[in-house]
Order: sequence, then C-alpha cells, then structure tokens
Amino acid sequence: MSTQAIESLSEDTVRRIADERDEPEWLLETRLNALSALETAELPDVIQTPGRRWTDLEALDFEALVDPLNQADETERTAGDDEVVVLPFTEALDEYGDVIEANFGSVLDPEHNYLTALSVALFTTGTFVYVPEGVDVEDVTVRAEMNSRSLFSQTLVVAEESSSVTILESIETGDAEVADDRYFSNLVEVVAGENANVQFGSLQNLDDDAYTYSLKRGVTDTYATVDWIESNFGSKLTRSDIETELNGDGSESQIVGTFFGTDDQHFDINARVWHQAEQTTADLVTRGVLDDVARSVYEGVQDVGEDAWNTSSYQRENTLMLSDDAEADASPKLIIHNHDTEASHSATVGQVDAEDLFYLESRSIDSRTARNMLVEGFFVPVLEEIAVDEFRDDVEELVLERLQ
Amino acid sequence: MSSQQDDLKETDTEARFEFKKEEKSAFKSEKGLTEETVRVISEDKDEPEWMLERRLRALEQFQEMPMPTDWPGQPDLSEVDINEIVPYIRPDIDKRGGADSWEDLPEEIQDTFDKLGIPEAEKNALSGVGAQYESEIVYQNMQERWEEKGVIFCDMDKAVQEHEEIVREHFMTKCVPPSDNKFAALHGAIWSGGSFVYVPENTTVEMPVQAYFRMNSEGMGQFEHTLIIAEEGSEVHYIEGCSAPKYSAFNLHSGGVEVFVGEDAHVQYSTVQNWSKNTYNLNTKRAIAEKGGRMEWISGSMGSKATMLYPSTILKGRGASDNHITIAFAGEGQDIDTGAKVYHNAPDTKSTVESKSIAKDGGRTNYRGLVHIADGAENSSTAVECDALMFDNESTSDTMPYMEINESKVDVAHEATVGKIGDEDIFYLQSRGLDDDDAKQMIVSGFIEPITEELPIEYAVELNRLVELEMEGSLG
Repeated sequence: MSTQAIESLSEDTVRRIADERDEPEWLLETRLNALSALETAELPDVIQTPGRRWTDLEALDFEALVDPLNQADETERTAGDDEVVVLPFTEALDEYGDVIEANFGSVLDPEHNYLTALSVALFTTGTFVYVPEGVDVEDVTVRAEMNSRSLFSQTLVVAEESSSVTILESIETGDAEVADDRYFSNLVEVVAGENANVQFGSLQNLDDDAYTYSLKRGVTDTYATVDWIESNFGSKLTRSDIETELNGDGSESQIVGTFFGTDDQHFDINARVWHQAEQTTADLVTRGVLDDVARSVYEGVQDVGEDAWNTSSYQRENTLMLSDDAEADASPKLIIHNHDTEASHSATVGQVDAEDLFYLESRSIDSRTARNMLVEGFFVPVLEEIAVDEFRDDVEELVLERLQ
Repeated sequence: MSSQQDDLKETDTEARFEFKKEEKSAFKSEKGLTEETVRVISEDKDEPEWMLERRLRALEQFQEMPMPTDWPGQPDLSEVDINEIVPYIRPDIDKRGGADSWEDLPEEIQDTFDKLGIPEAEKNALSGVGAQYESEIVYQNMQERWEEKGVIFCDMDKAVQEHEEIVREHFMTKCVPPSDNKFAALHGAIWSGGSFVYVPENTTVEMPVQAYFRMNSEGMGQFEHTLIIAEEGSEVHYIEGCSAPKYSAFNLHSGGVEVFVGEDAHVQYSTVQNWSKNTYNLNTKRAIAEKGGRMEWISGSMGSKATMLYPSTILKGRGASDNHITIAFAGEGQDIDTGAKVYHNAPDTKSTVESKSIAKDGGRTNYRGLVHIADGAENSSTAVECDALMFDNESTSDTMPYMEINESKVDVAHEATVGKIGDEDIFYLQSRGLDDDDAKQMIVSGFIEPITEELPIEYAVELNRLVELEMEGSLG
C-alpha cells in the first residue's frame, strides 16, 4: 500500500497554519512530526478477503481533494452551563494550553495512520470541551458547516472526575460553492476521568460530493462511561471508526450506530472496544438501511485482554436491504484472551418482512407508506438507545427525508 | 451403551495414536520440491502425460504465489519450509493400489492399523475402507454388494489409471484449481494417494465409506487427494480419519478434497483429525452442489500445531443446501484456525453453520468464516452459530466471520458467544459427588454433543475419548 505525496503540502504550509493561529511550539512540533510521518504511514486497514478489499481508500485523490490553506467552516458552539468550557480548539490554547498539551494525542496517536497524520498536520477547526470535577452538563452542541474543498477538524474532550457531559456534534455542507469533490476529516479524543460520564453524539450529513474520514476514540478511568452515537447519512464515501479503550475497572461503553445509504453511497463503519480492566461492559449496536446501489461495510471488534476479568461484551448489527442492487458486508469479530468473559455478537441482513408489509397493506395502507413505516420501525431499537431527545428527533427526521 | 461402544472405549486412545513405527520404505524422494521431484513422483506412479502436465503447471503456480501472511490473526507459518519436507514416501508394499486383505500387508503396517482399530470398524460398520500409510494407499476394500451397483471406491492413483476420463474431467479443474491458494498449488504438484469415490445415479450407499490417513515418518508431508462424485439422486457418507505420531521436526499435511454433489444427491463428509502437535494442517476442501443437492461437512479438529482449514461449499443449483458442523479443540501450543465458507450462487439455497470450539492451556481457536450471497440468489437463507468455551486466561478464542451480501431478498443471521465453564454448573455437579475434573469433562461433553450426535457411533466415541485425553493432566 503506497501513500501519495501531496504537492501543495510542505513544512511551510503547516507552519503557516500554526502561525496564523499563534500556536504554542509543542503543537507546531506535533504537526510537523505528523507531516513527516506521512512519508511512511499507511492508509487505514480495511477489511479484505482473498481477492477483494472491501473499501477502496487508495482511490482517493488527495492531491485534488486537499487544499490546506483554504479551509473554511461556520461552526456554532453552545454550552448549556457556565461551568463547562466549550471553545474553538485553537482559541482554547491560550487559556487551557496546559490541559490540552497534557491530553492531546494521549488517546489517539496522530501517527496512527496516513489519514490521522494528515488531519493533525493540517487541522484548522474543532472544539475543546473541558468539564471540571463534579460538573454535570447536558447540552453542549457543536453545529458545523463545511465551506471549503477540504476541512480538518480536531476535537478534544476532557471530563474530570465525577463529571458528566452530553455533547452533540453535527456536520453538513454550507452554502459556499465548491466545485467537484471535497474531503472532511474529523478526529475526536475523549478522556473520561474516574467516575465521569461522557456521551458524544455525532451526525454526519454532508452532500454527496464529499468523502469523509472520522476516527473517534475514548479512554475510560475507573467506573467511567463513554457512550457514542454515530449517525451517518451523507457523503459519497464514509469511513467512520468509533473506538473505546476500557482502561479502568468497572468502566463501560456503548456504541450506537445508524446509517442510511441511497444512490451509490458507500459506508465503511467500524466499532471497536478493548476491554483492558476488570468488570468492564460494552454494548455495540448498529442498524443501517441500504437502498439503490448503496453499500455498507461493517466491522465490529470486541477485544478482551488478559487482565479483563469478569467482562460483559455484546454486539449486534442489523442491515435492512431495500434494493436488490445494494450490498451489505459485515464482519463482527470477537478476540478473547480472558476466559472469565461473557461475550456475544450477532449480525443479520434481511429485507422488509413480507408478512408485516402484507399486514399493513391489509389495513389499507399503501405499499410505499407501509414500507416506510417498517423502515422507521427498524430504527426504533437504536433510536431508543439515544437518550437525548433533540438528537433522536434529528435522526428520525433524516430517516424520513431519505424515505421521501 | 452398546457393546461395540464399550469395546472401543476400552482401547487406550493414547496408545492408539501416539505410537510410532520404525521408518521402512521402498522409495523415498529427496527433501524439497523441484521439477525433478515432481517428475519422479509422476514416473514412479506411471501416470499419463496430462497428469504430469497438471502437476508441473501447479508447481509453477506454487512457486509464483506468496505465502499467506497478511490475514488478520492467522497462525504463524514461518516454520513451514517446503525444502525441509519429504514430499513422497512409498511404503514397502508389493502391490500398488493397496492390498485386498489385511493379511497381505507388511506386519508393521498391519500392526499400525490394528492399533488404530480400523479392521474392527470395517467389520462392524463400513461399506468400504481405504488406508493410507505415508504417501500411498496400502489397503483398499469395498463390499461386493456396492461394487455390483457400480459404486467405485479406490485409491486416487489407481483411479487415474482405471477411470482416466472421469478423473481427467474433475481432478482439480472446477472445484479446487491449484490457483486457489498456495497450498492447493503445492498439493496439485505433489499429491499422492487419497480416495476416489464414485456413486452412480440414484444409488444409495447406506453404510459409510471410510479412509484412514497415517503419517509415520519424521519430517514428511502428506498430500492425499480425495475426489467424490455423487451422481444425480445418489447418497453417500464418507469418513476420513487422520493421525501422525509426534517427532521433533515438523510435518506438513496439505490434502485436497473435491466433492461433486449432483442434482438431488446427498453427500456427508465427516472427519476427525488428530494430527500430532507438530503437524501443520493446511488443507483445501470444497464441494459444488447442483440443483437440490445437499452437502454436509462434519469435522472435529483436535490435533496439529496449526490448522488452517475452511471447508467450503458452492451452492450452484437452485434449492441446493449445505450444513457445516465443526468442533475445534486447542490445547497448549496449538493454533486451530478453522471455519466454513459458503457461496450462495443460486436462488432458494440454504446453509447452516454450527461451530463449537474449546481452548485451554494457552491454545488458540479461531472461527474464520465467509458467507457470500450473490446477486440473484433470491430467497436464500443462512444461519451461522459459533460458540466458544475457554478454560483459562492463557488461551485465546477469536471469531472472525465475514458476510458479503449482494442480494436483498435473503435472510442472514450470525451469532457467536464466548463463555467460560459456568461455576454454578460445576458446583451443581460437584454437589452430586463428582470431582472437579469429571464435572468439567462432563460439561465439555455436553457442549460438544450437538456435534458428536451427528457422527457414526465409533467416531463419536473416538472424539469423546480424544477430548477426555486432551483434558487430562491439565485439570487436577
């Protein structure tokens, strides 16, 4: 797998981005290290079976997609409470430089792969969320619009001991005219301190000229919880990785995923948890619908380490196919190194149940409406897992929109 | 319990499998793999030109293909050096293609198979039996009543001579071409021995047909080929058993199995594999099922250092079906990477996979499966169920199923669970007066019962005995 050099990318480019934001030296160093890592870094692993790679990331033309010095976004950030800090990432550096320096890259290695390195070298937007000890906030929202060919975003969430926060992030395409394809890259790190509780919801609805890469990873201290909701509706090709390292005894993670693909959209969705401490619990649940010639690739990994005694780990993935030309690939994996484990996973693919359809039609509901009702119903078990009303409404609305 | 079962139980399984014989052979090829070796094997077998050509072409493909090294979590094959393998050993027998009676065999071979219990099994339960020692079939027998109906059961080398047309058409052409993978190519170049089974139209072979493979010499490879052709409406059950004693050098087993299931035919293929714990078991097994055909794979993988084996079925005709039942047991130093592959290439096809694995003392088991549903394979359904049982913290159990679904009118389900032996279950059994070891053994027997009940009785007993044997020593 060879990675490509991007001509417009040089040390100067990176220095200009850092200078314009008056960034501290350590961050510039981090960016430059990420830039030089590009020479050797590999593209993210994609599932392959003999003779076939399930997602073709090599086909991405970064030379055409990446325009580092013309990044533009319009992002609205609201915090429900004065006690929580919610700032644009680069602005936060002045006041919270120490906290950021201490945590940046501690969860997600910038040099993890080619795309993370590219993102760290070039990011211009993103959010810093800092929840001090004992603070409990429900409604942090980040609504972003992408207004340029490429946009790189970096988010860091630090939740201190016994704090609790719910963050909802959404990204869509703004009004700015951009011809041809575009690329959106989103890295999110979550540090959950002892007994902290972080819920991070993300809704991606970019237009279908966009290619998106997102990698979100959280780590938990003792008794901490990190819950993810990951909804993907837009974009031509989506590669989305949601990961939690359960590092503290008694910590938990839930990953809830939804996607809805139409036309020739391609979703490569990955949910992974590492159980590395005792009495940890994980619950992964993803539901997706595919229509037209859309395609989904799903990989879920539950990795139970040697020291993860008394683990509970569950995973379910269900795909509903509305069209004969759609394709769904799934690989739910279990990797178990500790026998004191209860783990299970399941995956199903099917179509709208003919009997259910018949039942609704026999109640004089026309077949299109009946089908839509059943598709909406298919998402219910996942929507029920979403504790935040506003987010659930958004997802429901997008499902309805897709069904029109 | 039947008296037959009692008899078999009394045999000391360990003694049956672990003994070795002084190596005595009539012909032994040089170590390593060259064109010369391939030519020598072919010449020694007096093969037709086309078979030699196929071998040489496979050798070329083998040399071109890289070793499989980049599968996620695959067993380590770095020790497998073909230049250290003796690919072909012809045992010291007078008659090619196997003796007709046990008495005609050299004493040490007779003795070997006696210890394995094959003569008794033949008397009691089988339609026919073939036995392979090193690279050649040494004994072959088919009951007359099946022969009269046109059923053919002979060794593969003999089939090349006597049933040339049919072998030429089917041998590594449509089912397992050498290009399939590196070890299939290796197999194609240096295969030797194995079984040929042909069942004519609408013929039912009511008792199982059995072949037993035994590796005796140190540092050898065994590459037997099995070709089963079940014509329209026929039915046959083939059983394969394998074993090899342990030497310090590694052994390589790279067999090839091709099964053609005709329209509405039914083939059951059962294996209990107990290769010694320094054998690399890298097999390719595949079946093609025509319209309404039914294929069943039943396998127990107990032995070997590393196994990579994924029996696969191509459901080619409408309404064809496939069942896989597998059990893997990995103890210390073992890496059993096994699974099932099913290609649904026609409408109304069905498949089920039931997989059970047990890992203990640092062993690793992995279920690696693939279900492919092609566009147009309407109303197909598949259900995959994997359960893993782990004994301790040093062991590893992975599940890596892949599902590729190109058709919407399908029903696909996969489920897997991993768990430890329930403390409560153990406590319950102990409270009934069983000691800890017996309790665990009983739970394991219960865990694998869905598999054992599908096997003929003597294999079920053997499998249970092997499991018991594996569990001894570590529990106590």
